[in-house]
Amino acid sequence: MSRIPLHRIPLGTFVHARSGDKGGDANLGLWVSRTAEGPYAERVAWLLDTVTPDWVRDLVPEAAGLDIEVHPLPNLGAVNIVIHRLLGDGVAASTRFDPQAKGLGEWARSRHVDVPEEIA
Amino acid sequence: MIDHARAVRIGNCSGFYGDRLSAMREMLEGGELDVLTGDYLAELTMLILGKDQLKDPSLGYARTFVRQLEESLALALEKGVKIVTNAGGLNPAGLAEKVRELATGLGLDVKVAHVEGDDVRHLSFENALTANAYLGGWGIARALEQGADVVVTGRVTDASLVVGPAAWFHGWDSTDYDALAGAVVAGHVIECGTQATGGNFSGFMELVADGRLDPAKPLGFPIAEIAADGSCVITKHDGTGGAVTLDTVTAQLVYEIQSVKYLGPDVTTLLDTIELSEAGPDRVVITGVRGEAPPDRLKVCLNELGGWRNAIEFVLTGLDIDAKADLVRRQVEASWGERAPADVTWTLGPAHVPGADTEAGASTLLRCVVKDADPKVASKGLTAPAVEVGLASYPGFTLTAPPGPASPYGIYRAEYVDRDQVTHTVVHADGTKEVVA
Repeated sequence: MSRIPLHRIPLGTFVHARSGDKGGDANLGLWVSRTAEGPYAERVAWLLDTVTPDWVRDLVPEAAGLDIEVHPLPNLGAVNIVIHRLLGDGVAASTRFDPQAKGLGEWARSRHVDVPEEIA
Repeated sequence: MIDHARAVRIGNCSGFYGDRLSAMREMLEGGELDVLTGDYLAELTMLILGKDQLKDPSLGYARTFVRQLEESLALALEKGVKIVTNAGGLNPAGLAEKVRELATGLGLDVKVAHVEGDDVRHLSFENALTANAYLGGWGIARALEQGADVVVTGRVTDASLVVGPAAWFHGWDSTDYDALAGAVVAGHVIECGTQATGGNFSGFMELVADGRLDPAKPLGFPIAEIAADGSCVITKHDGTGGAVTLDTVTAQLVYEIQSVKYLGPDVTTLLDTIELSEAGPDRVVITGVRGEAPPDRLKVCLNELGGWRNAIEFVLTGLDIDAKADLVRRQVEASWGERAPADVTWTLGPAHVPGADTEAGASTLLRCVVKDADPKVASKGLTAPAVEVGLASYPGFTLTAPPGPASPYGIYRAEYVDRDQVTHTVVHADGTKEVVA
């Protein structure tokens, strides 16, 4: 079995993010930058193939044990991720650092992930 | 007469209660518009307005909107730009009356309509502080058809502020699902103001580098030019700061959505049908959006008073951070004794740098957040023991700020009610009431 050489790089190298809250659930949108240098279509294919609930649990360790939904939006080169109950009872009641998940996307972008060499 | 063949230009001047006060005037002065919308209501805002109204029942609306309108109403009337806003919050009738008073004071003749019926506390949510069904855009559309200059709503969906005016302008039917879905997408993109034009954007560095995001120049608010088929162009006024690109628009499209089917009161929008393209600088075209019949039930934003919360932050510096945290935590918990708050969360962070060459770098924070049904327990009950150990605890004891009283917090949850239990009503400028199916 041939192994694809992987690079370990910050997700945000070519992936944009925006995050927010819906009550106690956090919403995390990830999409491939259209202006970053590199192969756009291949990166979109990688993102859509790669992002699963378990991958999100590695990316966001604080989501371990929570229900996670991943919704592909191929036309936008994007996936939308819903992390249920990350924020407890919602913004007003939450004791969490960043109770509205405003910075969740930027945290996710700073996390290192394995990416095939040809799209890294 | 309205020219249905052309696109309707709908701008946004507010993405939340507290957004740039001058934006309403800037949007009116900066170029041509048919309609100017403003969103003031997040789930948390409903709670804040609910607390306002506990103190004074005549409040419950976004007061900044009144200040904005004071400055801009004359210009809006002169230019024939309709103002459509959910700033009515929990009291749209009260805000409509306030706007009429304001116009009278300014010597202006204005037709103000409002939309109500979203308050559903009577539907077995009596214990809730606020319970508001997310209404659609048809009340707004009817108000505009009857000639309103200003339409004030309570809890309609954010996108309804755009769907209603587009449906009015183009004469859409309630089953024109693709066109309605297109307007929902347009509304979703512009509802958060400058989040569509380069604000809160993870690609900000490239915009700063090429001068489009100039720190000295306020970001322009977004505009949707919506065509009769529901397709649209997202843009902003010429000469304003920020940018409208495929990536800034995508950023807003993926914000606060859930599944691929975006459920709304007027239409279910299929988000995976959205197609984006660029048509020149700061012009992004959205086409291809498909919609289908909306769900039978309406979502309700429900806030209940949860109790009281408070927080205190201890600064820990230098060696043995964990032992210092452990000492003060145990001292505080011991002095609570039997009167400990019901819910206590201790967190330590951010990470400090051992031996750092600045004091701040060598320090970290121990944060204690408490919640309790009794405000006394969450106020003095928390803060007195924490203050009293000030000279009796770990070396270097200090707090980031003097501890304050607890504040009430709400618990948000979504509920659902049958559509026919909700009486979506528009109150026209002449006082006549019309129930919108």
